Amino acid sequence: MEYLLHILLIAGIYVILTLSLNLIVGYTGLPALGHAAFSCIGAYTSSLLALNMGLSPWIGLLTGACVAALSGIIIGYPAVRLKGDYLALATFGLGVIVYSIAKNWVSLTRGPMGLPGIPGFSIFGFQLSEIWSYLLLVLFFVIVTVFVIKRTVNSPFGRILRSIREDEVASEALGKDTTKHKLLVFIIGAFFAGIAGSLYAHYITFIDPSSFTVMESIIILLMVIFGGMGSISGSIVGAVILVVFPELLRFLGMPSSIAAPMRQMIYGLLLVVLMLKRPQGIMGAYRFK
Amino acid sequence: MNNVFCQLLVNAVIAGSIYALIALGFTVIYRTVKFFHFAHGVVYTAGAYFAYTLIISLHLNFALSFFLSMVLAAILGIAIDRFVYYPLRQQNASNLIFLLASFGVFIFLQNLIQLIYGAQILTIRTGPIKEGHHFLGAVITDVQILILAASIILMIFLWLFIQKTKLGKAMRAVADDPVAANVVGINPERMIRTSFAIGSALAGAAGILISFETNIEPTMGFSALLKGIIAAIIGGIGSIPGAVLGGFFLGLAENLGIWKISAGWKDCIAFAILIIFLFIRPWGFLGTKTEKETI
Repeated sequence: MEYLLHILLIAGIYVILTLSLNLIVGYTGLPALGHAAFSCIGAYTSSLLALNMGLSPWIGLLTGACVAALSGIIIGYPAVRLKGDYLALATFGLGVIVYSIAKNWVSLTRGPMGLPGIPGFSIFGFQLSEIWSYLLLVLFFVIVTVFVIKRTVNSPFGRILRSIREDEVASEALGKDTTKHKLLVFIIGAFFAGIAGSLYAHYITFIDPSSFTVMESIIILLMVIFGGMGSISGSIVGAVILVVFPELLRFLGMPSSIAAPMRQMIYGLLLVVLMLKRPQGIMGAYRFK
Repeated sequence: MNNVFCQLLVNAVIAGSIYALIALGFTVIYRTVKFFHFAHGVVYTAGAYFAYTLIISLHLNFALSFFLSMVLAAILGIAIDRFVYYPLRQQNASNLIFLLASFGVFIFLQNLIQLIYGAQILTIRTGPIKEGHHFLGAVITDVQILILAASIILMIFLWLFIQKTKLGKAMRAVADDPVAANVVGINPERMIRTSFAIGSALAGAAGILISFETNIEPTMGFSALLKGIIAAIIGGIGSIPGAVLGGFFLGLAENLGIWKISAGWKDCIAFAILIIFLFIRPWGFLGTKTEKETI
């Protein structure tokens, strides 16, 4: 039971990541390959504030999300000026740079040794030590994310995003500042990815750079595509299926030396098959142009 | 101090020649298909593991294994094209779909290698480690000389092939204008297969050479691929001399960059250079300015 709740909780964190990336990739059509960088920044900011300055995880979560949003400006600024493949490559590169900083700035992040003993959340003095209470917290943030993303994409702002996705030149011709909108999308996406990173850090109580590799970014992107580009329910379904399904390998009695590459192989194969057969995903409305 | 500089310079040239080989293979493929073939990195890894299997498990000699591994890498490249990219071409898929599919192939094959050989590092070196030659205060080993010589020979072969042979000329024609090439009777599909064979053989060769020098592991292709792509872009995407120039430039920048800071920052330096180039001079050293419109 404990294990099942744990899987659901991790799935919830991935739902937040997938939804926030879907805003960038699925709704605005920007192929961003560095989403794990934002959750890395959120996780490290929040953990370092808690460990070094003894601040409450709540303040850490908010600061982490804001710092991630700020990094969204820094990463988005050069990235949104590029198109297609080059945007993918630039965001990918920035993802590697953030990972590399987390790994090499040993005096701050302790590098590959990671940060142990990150304190958990507490509400009104009650420590959230039970896993179900933590699950409720994650669920709360999932609902907030769904609500905000839904409101964003259904607003006039969201219509501009979809117009950028469908025909950027046309929306520019109508006087929309597409660069500004693309940058804003990066900031919103980064903010929620920062929240997800912080939730993860305070739940697991240990983080190291290996949780935020570029492969992780690609898996989040795979969840977006699998569920459906530009679909909120698709993102939820995609993230939950792709977190839960590989866990079944565990029940087949495979040793982890086989299960770990097997799981990655399934992800790789799924990505290829999706691209060949259904590039817009299960419930998607858009495929890459 | 001076010796350190010379040693870094030697390391830079060796690293640069490997990057240049990967970038060349990548460029040869990019010129005919015009998308980023990320699975190129796993062909490099496969090259190293082919060499390992032939030398350690089957006890073949070095020269024969080298040749056979390159052939196997070429076959792998053609197979990836046949089973993944060819169906996508039939659907007129966009560049990004090709790119993501190539990522999928990369993840799949890398983990297949890990499943077969295990995640631990393997080594091909059989004899005792010999002391290198002293050269202007730097040490250079026999293997490093082999790497440098082999990559220069491969680069010259490729240059002669592209410039002098009829097949090379047809490949250039497809790179310039596939429709016009088709009109004059060149089969573009055949040229794409040829470019995958040559490009993958070059990536395989780079993997084999590096396996003589250092240990091999399933994840080695990732960083190598990124260096190859960065080298190809800063040299000018699609330009063959540019790929060589970019490879050596990247090798130099990385190795001289870590003169004062820790070696862990290499990847960071490489990507910082890429971002600067994409921002300031996206068409690279030798690319044409018209490429800017596509970026």
